[in-house]
Amino acid sequence: MSFRSYLLVLFMLALTGCDDLDPSSEDKRPPVDETTIGASVGQIAPDYSLFDTLGNPVTMSAELTGASGIVMYYTMWCPICDSHMSHMRSQIIPDFPNVKFFIIDYVSGTVELSREAQLSNGYADLTVLVDNTQEVLTLYQATMGTTVVIDGAGTVRMNEDYKDGTKLAGTLASLP
Amino acid sequence: MLLNVAYFSSSSCFKQVTCGLVIGAALFLSPPLYAASCCGGGSASSLVLPKFFTQMFAGSFNFEQYDGFWNTDGIYTEDPPGSDLNQYRLNLGYGHRLAPNWQASVVAPYVWNNNTYSGLESNTSGLGDMSLSLWYETFDQIMCVYDVRELEDLMPAVYLGTSLTLPTGKSPYGSGVSNSFDITGRGFYRLDANLLLDKTIWPWTMIAEFAYGVHLERPVNQEYGRYVEPYDKQLGNRRFGLISLGYTAFLEELDTLTFTLAYSDLKEDLGTINGATDPTSGMRKKSFTFTTAYSTPAKDWVVKGSVNHSPAKNDWGRNFPVTNIFAIELIHVIP
Repeated sequence: MSFRSYLLVLFMLALTGCDDLDPSSEDKRPPVDETTIGASVGQIAPDYSLFDTLGNPVTMSAELTGASGIVMYYTMWCPICDSHMSHMRSQIIPDFPNVKFFIIDYVSGTVELSREAQLSNGYADLTVLVDNTQEVLTLYQATMGTTVVIDGAGTVRMNEDYKDGTKLAGTLASLP
Repeated sequence: MLLNVAYFSSSSCFKQVTCGLVIGAALFLSPPLYAASCCGGGSASSLVLPKFFTQMFAGSFNFEQYDGFWNTDGIYTEDPPGSDLNQYRLNLGYGHRLAPNWQASVVAPYVWNNNTYSGLESNTSGLGDMSLSLWYETFDQIMCVYDVRELEDLMPAVYLGTSLTLPTGKSPYGSGVSNSFDITGRGFYRLDANLLLDKTIWPWTMIAEFAYGVHLERPVNQEYGRYVEPYDKQLGNRRFGLISLGYTAFLEELDTLTFTLAYSDLKEDLGTINGATDPTSGMRKKSFTFTTAYSTPAKDWVVKGSVNHSPAKNDWGRNFPVTNIFAIELIHVIP
C-alpha cells in the first residue's frame, strides 16, 4: 500500500469517528419519570448545601421557600462563562426579581480562592456558591456554562447550556 | 535559497516558506477558537508547497500556555488563583502538487488538554479539527529578486486559496464528551477564502495575508453528551489579517537562518441560534509572532521555532483567552 493510500485510510478512519460531521436535528431526549430525583427536566431536583463566598451556608430547598424558583449557573471563570454571566446579569436578572440566581464555582477549591476569583472577575454583586468537591456539579451532570432552573416546587425546569439566554428567559417567564 | 517560516496563534497558524528559487508558504488556518481549557479546541494549519516542489511533509509540536482572558468588553482578566492551564498540539501535515500552479494539502492536529485548578485537575486528549486546502498560484516563475531594476521586480507572489475545516475534533455537540475539558474541536464546518501576498527582495521578505471564513449552520441535539431540545446554531464569520517582515542570513554552507516578526488580527462576528443573533458569541485576538527558521543548503529540510504572544492588556482581544504559544516544527520538502 502506498503512502498516499495510508493517508487516505487514516483520513477516512478519522472521519468515521466523528458524529459532528453529520449532525442530527432529531429530538432524542429520553422519557423522564417525574417521580424520581434527578438532573433531567421534569425530575425532582436533588437537594444540596454549599457555602457561599462570604462563608454563609446555602441550602437549595430552603432557598426555594418564597421564591418562584432558582437558577444555577456553573462557572470556571473563563471567557464564555464571563460572557454568559455578564449577559445574565444585565438582561435576565432584572426581569425576575422573585427568582434567586446562584453562580456555582466548581474549580476554585476553597471559599477564599473562589471569593478572590469572584472579585477579580467583577461579580461581587452576585451570589457565588463554592462547590469545592464538585458534588453539585456531579448531581446535576453539569459542566461549564450549564444553566439549571428549579421551580418553586423543586422540579428541574431547564438543564442545558446558557447559549444566548433566550431559553433561560423563556423558562423563567413560564414559572408559576 | 532561503526559508522563512512563521507561526501564528492558537486559533490560527501561519507558516510561510520562501526559497531563493523556490517559494512556498504555509498559511492560514483556522481553528478553534475557544481552544483548550475552558472551551476546547485544537488547531490545524494549511500548508503551501514551494513553487516547483511536488510534496511537503510537516510536523509541529505546540505548547500553548493560558494567561487569563479578555472579557466581552476587552478588559484583561486573570485566570482563577492557583490555576495552570495548558494545551499541547501535534500537527501533521502533507502538501501535494496537483498541477504546475495548483496544490492541495491536509493538516491533522492531535490535542492534549492539561488543566489544573486549585480544586480540580483534568487531562484529556483527542483528534482536533482537520483542514483541507486548495491553492492556486497566480505566477509561473519565482518572484524573489536580489535587486529592483524595473517595476516588474516589485510584483509579489500571489496565492489564492480556499480551506475547509472539518469538525473531526470532540465538540460540545458530539457524543463521547461529558464536560468542557474533553473538547478538542468546535463542531462546525468552516469554509475560508485565502489570499497570500509574498515578496522577497533579498535578504528581506514581506508577507501580507488575508482570510475570510464562513461557518456553516448546523443542527444541535446534544450538549456535552446530554440530549437537549434541538436547535440550529451558526458561529460568526471570521476575518483574519497578518503582516510580517523577515530577514534572512546566509550561512557558510549556503544554509540559511531567517528571522521573522509578524502581527496578526483575528476577529469572529456574532453567531446565531435559531436565526437570532447570539450576543454572548464572537471574539477578537491580536498577537505577535517571532520565528527563527533554519534551512539546510538543499532547502529540503527546515527546522523552526516560534513564539506567539498576545499582550495581557486591555483591548488586545475580546471574549477570548490570552495565551503564549511556543512551537517547534520540522518540514521536509520533496522536489
